[in-house]
Amino acid sequence: MPIIQRFLTRFFIRFGLITFTLLALGPVIWAVVTSLLPLSSLTSHPIDLNPANVTVENYFLVFASSRGLVSGLINSLIIATFTSAVGLVIGSMAAYALARLNMPNSSRILMMILATQMFPGIVIVIPLFLVMSRTGLVDTHFGLIIVYLSFILPIVIWILKGFFESVPMELERAAAVDGASPFQTFRYIVLPISLPPLFATGVFAFIEAWNEFFFAIILTRIHVKTASIAIAEFSGQYQTLYGQMLASAVLASIPVVALAIIFRRFILEGFVEGAIKA
Amino acid sequence: MATLELININKKFGEFTAVNDINLRVEEGEFVTLLGPSGCGKSTLLNMTAGLEDVTSGEIHINGKKVNHLGPFERDVAMVFQNYALYPHMTVEENIGFSLRLRKRPKNEIQDKVRKVAEMLELDKFMHRLPRELSGGQQQRVAIGRAVIREPSIFLFDEPFSNLDAALRLKTRGEIKELHQRLGVTSIFVTHDQEEALSLSDRIAVLRLGQLEQFGTPEDVYSKPASKYVARFIGTPQMDIFAGSFVNSDGLHFQIGEADIPLPVSFKIPDTAVDVGIRAEFVTLGSKGFDAAIRLVQPVGPFTYVTVDWQGGSVTARVNGVSHMKPKEIIKVEIDPEGLLFFDRITEKRMDLL
Repeated sequence: MPIIQRFLTRFFIRFGLITFTLLALGPVIWAVVTSLLPLSSLTSHPIDLNPANVTVENYFLVFASSRGLVSGLINSLIIATFTSAVGLVIGSMAAYALARLNMPNSSRILMMILATQMFPGIVIVIPLFLVMSRTGLVDTHFGLIIVYLSFILPIVIWILKGFFESVPMELERAAAVDGASPFQTFRYIVLPISLPPLFATGVFAFIEAWNEFFFAIILTRIHVKTASIAIAEFSGQYQTLYGQMLASAVLASIPVVALAIIFRRFILEGFVEGAIKA
Repeated sequence: MATLELININKKFGEFTAVNDINLRVEEGEFVTLLGPSGCGKSTLLNMTAGLEDVTSGEIHINGKKVNHLGPFERDVAMVFQNYALYPHMTVEENIGFSLRLRKRPKNEIQDKVRKVAEMLELDKFMHRLPRELSGGQQQRVAIGRAVIREPSIFLFDEPFSNLDAALRLKTRGEIKELHQRLGVTSIFVTHDQEEALSLSDRIAVLRLGQLEQFGTPEDVYSKPASKYVARFIGTPQMDIFAGSFVNSDGLHFQIGEADIPLPVSFKIPDTAVDVGIRAEFVTLGSKGFDAAIRLVQPVGPFTYVTVDWQGGSVTARVNGVSHMKPKEIIKVEIDPEGLLFFDRITEKRMDLL
């Protein structure tokens, strides 16, 4: 009986995991498959999945296309990199200050930061557009970075504040006794042991900025078109180039996947473990 | 080396008074323990001395100079924390040398000093290990090394043994005492363990609810406790306390229940009600005295503590060696009047009557 029970348990666990994986991977697999088929196969009824038709021509076509995928990828890279870098620098300092320094009204400040997250994008996008067009920030990298920071920074601050609060107070006290100023304590003690959560938060911020579509489509025109907009433009008034669109999507997801793989170790590593005995 | 003086120190957390008007003077090279149960304010007092917490009122003087406004580093104190608080991402070598690196000392000087300290603490084999790769005792020694390398004028220890197992605790206790004998640096040690306090200190400050109950040598706090509280807190097994009264017939006696204990002629009878405290070493079990039933027999190696039901309460006797007495046996209890401690029943303060 126990053997059957164990078998059933395993079976259901695996069944669940496989189902979940297929659900999650399904669209990705479909995107890859689609990107490898010529438009004629995709538009035929039923869709022609004959492996003999597999081609990589879509990948060459998107680079030659006028829809600006390459410049879109570069724009996205610039914007996402700056957003996550600036977000991490400002966010980590703000989070540390809010978590550790005895500042007046810090809880009120935290609530205000959180409150900025309560407005749906659609509510603020038109006034935002007006403000940005008056200040000449529409269709600039700088403008989009600022807008992205406005919603990424609060999240970064809240995530990192939680982490900084979990760093044992005594580490910082020990540093103070050793003669470190608050900034040196942050630089030499808190920051190094915070690298894993910083990487995780940084990757999160990068992905948020990389994937963003709504603000990008309204606040950019030609020069700062991001990858997500370039991809969407393959869907046109007269025809949708599914193969090229999804080839672009696959290309655009590579940096994000690479980031996740590179920083996986840091993200998972429990660095503080062993610092303090409970 | 330095003197430390705490003058009218108060600390309030909101409405709660953690430290209440404490005055304490620690002499140069002295080893002083702040002793008390958790919540008595001993750690708060240490943190204020370190400069990690502000005082609500009062003055802290180091070497006669007021240091209230100075940070921990300017006060020239080093501290060993309860959890060691080793920097997890730094090796043993980097942990010990961190304070020197902050002061931008030349590299070879740092290396030399770290090596010397590590050798003294037998850490030289572990220089390149991270804290998490060390045993509890080794981590403890790194924490001490980090304090020693600073050559501070005062060492502060915040319950540094509480994470060690019993055997290691005894060993480390010896090491700290040796270190103090060798370096002679003024040290303040916080603990709730009275045995630790007795064995390490030149003087012990017993704290209760943020107030200083007694400040004296280990001998003083053990044999001349200022109050019932100190008497019960210090000493193993705990002192037994009985209510009783003086009877003057056929010489002066102290009457506890049915039992009366003869007192010397020189005894001064107070005019208030008193309780009497009896330590185990002044209780003799045998053929003389008053009947009692044995309740509990606890051998601890060189002694056996035998607790008997006596006069409506219980009293514990210290018997040399291993005792073969059994629970429920009836035995006679004799009390040495020399060892009695008298306390005012209302104020709970000890009275010098003998």
